Amino acid sequence: MKIKRMLALALALVMALAMAGCGNGDATDPTGAVAKNELAICLASEPDTLDPALNAALDGATMVIHLFSGLAKWDSDGKTVLPDLAEELPEGALNEDGTVTYTYTLKEGLLWSDGQPFTAGDIAFSWKRAAATETAADYGYMFEVVKGYPDDLAVEATDDRTLVVTLNNAVNYWNELLAFPTYMPVREDVVANEGWATDPSTYVCNGPYAITAWAHDSLITLTKNENYHDAASVTMPTIKCYLSDDDNNMLANFKNGDWQLIDNVPADEIPALKTSYPDEFQTIGQLGTYFICWNVNESVLPADSTLTGAEKAAAEAEIRQALALVLDRNYIVESLSQAGEIPASSFVGLGLTDFDGSQFYQNAGHSEEFDGYFDVNDVEGNFAKAVEILKKYYAFDEATQTFTGGPTFTYIYNTDSVHQAIAEYVQGAFQSVGVTIQLENQEWNTFLNTRNNGDFSVSRHGWVADYNDPITFLDMWVSNSGNNDAQLGKGAHKDLAVYSIDLTPYGYDVVVENGTWAETYDKTISVIKSCTDAETRYALMHYAEDLLMSTGCIAPIYYYTDLYMLNSSVNGFFVNPLGYKYFMYTTVE
Amino acid sequence: MSSKTLMYILKRILLAILTVWIVITVTFFVMRAVPGGPFLGEKAITQEAMDALEAKYGMDKPLIEQYTTYLTDIVTRLDFGPSLKNRGRDVSAIIFDGFKTSIPLGVSAAFLALVTGVVLGAVAALRRNKIIDKVIMVVTTAFVSMPSFIMGSLLLIVFTMTFPIFPANGTTTMGLVLPVITLALYPMAYITRLTRSSMLDVLGQDYIRTARAKGVAPGKIVFKHALKNSLIPVITYFGPMLAYIVTGSLVVEQIFAVPGIGRAFVSSITDRDYPMIMGTTIVLATLIVVMNLVSDILYKVVDPRINLE
Repeated sequence: MKIKRMLALALALVMALAMAGCGNGDATDPTGAVAKNELAICLASEPDTLDPALNAALDGATMVIHLFSGLAKWDSDGKTVLPDLAEELPEGALNEDGTVTYTYTLKEGLLWSDGQPFTAGDIAFSWKRAAATETAADYGYMFEVVKGYPDDLAVEATDDRTLVVTLNNAVNYWNELLAFPTYMPVREDVVANEGWATDPSTYVCNGPYAITAWAHDSLITLTKNENYHDAASVTMPTIKCYLSDDDNNMLANFKNGDWQLIDNVPADEIPALKTSYPDEFQTIGQLGTYFICWNVNESVLPADSTLTGAEKAAAEAEIRQALALVLDRNYIVESLSQAGEIPASSFVGLGLTDFDGSQFYQNAGHSEEFDGYFDVNDVEGNFAKAVEILKKYYAFDEATQTFTGGPTFTYIYNTDSVHQAIAEYVQGAFQSVGVTIQLENQEWNTFLNTRNNGDFSVSRHGWVADYNDPITFLDMWVSNSGNNDAQLGKGAHKDLAVYSIDLTPYGYDVVVENGTWAETYDKTISVIKSCTDAETRYALMHYAEDLLMSTGCIAPIYYYTDLYMLNSSVNGFFVNPLGYKYFMYTTVE
Repeated sequence: MSSKTLMYILKRILLAILTVWIVITVTFFVMRAVPGGPFLGEKAITQEAMDALEAKYGMDKPLIEQYTTYLTDIVTRLDFGPSLKNRGRDVSAIIFDGFKTSIPLGVSAAFLALVTGVVLGAVAALRRNKIIDKVIMVVTTAFVSMPSFIMGSLLLIVFTMTFPIFPANGTTTMGLVLPVITLALYPMAYITRLTRSSMLDVLGQDYIRTARAKGVAPGKIVFKHALKNSLIPVITYFGPMLAYIVTGSLVVEQIFAVPGIGRAFVSSITDRDYPMIMGTTIVLATLIVVMNLVSDILYKVVDPRINLE
């Protein structure tokens, strides 16, 4: 009896301690009833920064567009760009030197969230700050189209409501840039405090919402900003942004109704969620491509090969292209990644549009029968083609129909279950054509370092565009680009003169026979960047992608998709082509 | 307290400072030797921007100079520097914010473990080989051998989804109940087993037999004589356990989305956020050193025969 009493006492004590010890906080209704004037969402963990100039993350971008208002914004159809602070988005005036000047008039009576008047000078200051070398913003290069980039940006406020900006040449995605987070305005006296963007009391913004509470690593509360010029159209009074990156925890909160949107789900739950939550489980294209990247300076020929120079380069390109054909991309997306990705047959991703508004990838390659550079559905045909090519270079035993003594490579990937599953699949697939792959799993930062330095043979890679223009996929491969992990035009490849271009059909007097990567690819990219005729520019971008794909260094696997779960009681939600999620116009039933 | 004890404590404090300094030095140079850097990302920034960032954070100076600057800042101003990842925030602010959750969480879990562990251990020892002893031993063996991610996930599924009694995110008071229980189960089971074996040992001692022979009440024997002396191994375990549990359990924080310090530890390393790595390491090292010292002093309180010199 005594023991029982003792146990009861101990248990009571324990419960009391557990309750008392846990700091203060609001109790959440565990039944999951959705409050109508509040939306609870979870995009990711604590954002690295909510300073619009410094942000480089997708979740941060979604936060920024709720907090700031720029000259332009995305319409609620998620497709077109409308004026926001600007009264209208006028056409630019072409100057004699080829530069283009835009003059914007701001709406009347604009205010910051703290009630101070908003001026055109604030925008000019913000743009100069974001572009400046000293700021070292990841996305500072988004201003490279502006004359005087980076440290003498040609933007000025001629009065409180007029902003004049001059671009190097006409840019057909300029209005989209005006709606980009890096272009959002901040105020000089506010950002003078280095920690301004980490504390609600110092966070001054001008968008639909203001931050009213921020429990770091836990919860950011956004409350409607009554000083926003278009506050009347904002329908959701409060957005609670929970900060977590654990997929399982997100899903538990979604399932019990506490959170209405989660931006990720556990990969192994995807098949079950598709059937059990058909209306809530959503996938959308993400302007990105998952691919395998070969280091151009690592030979893929057998050790006893005697080929050199142009012959060697051509053989290696052909081998890499053949190895890309060995992979069954439908199997990868259906059985390994499982997030509704689309098998890829070109590098420039799904969602990037061509001159005529069609998908750029559908016009890539030169086949009438399929999209891209090979037919992703003809798995057997591709494999047979690959075998025929590889037979020319690798020893093949006709009796057993197997390759013998192919080369060995190390395939690097960063720690992640999907990357690992794909790596193991690639290993098996390449083994079937005699190529041995050793897998090396590296921690993220080490992986970036290894890949960036070119200390690898073959690597997993992925690229997501910042704006809807194929150039973001193409200019990363110029010789001096920091993102040129394939090492094209670097190291030994720098002096290899085997590429040819002929841009005369596009109206440019540029013909290069057997030039280096810099003389051909870099040249094509620089022509594209200065090209003012949109149709020609897009044609040139296809031309550049052809040249890139001819190296075989890029083996596209799939086009990325973004998946999220949205409670069916939420209306008025949309996503723009860059993947930013819009909650300001939502209502909850 | 005798002067010898005071001397001992002073010696231990000096030793503790030396230990923390060694930890600082080794961590500083090892972390800089690891490949990668804080400003690397999927999308590379330009060399000019990289140079500007390195200059801003003093990383363009020779490593040894950076080390001496860092040490000076710590010693003279207790300044851990700015985080390289969360731009605009100081490391000390991030650690402080983490501890606001981790300390209540860890202390609750540790005391829950201590109280239930000691009670269950004592009950098991007093009812040795009876059914209740066997039940306690089976259950504690299960808890000791079950990793926290399984227990955490299990509790998450059962109590937030199947029976939604608690919220799944640890941002609220109610949300911290499940993390406390998850964190407490392993040390609770361990303390139960420690207490049981130590108590059995003590119960067989001559002085207990003498007390019984004198006719001392059984309750008094257990509480006054046996329990106190069986706690020495528990104290040895409890000090460092408290330090570890307070500095966070990454797994439990992940599972329940608790905004504690544990995640900061791990993410600082993957991000190569050098000042953050240093800050969290120094805090953990100091806590463990202090907790060990406190345990050692507590021995003497529990058992005056122990000589601290």
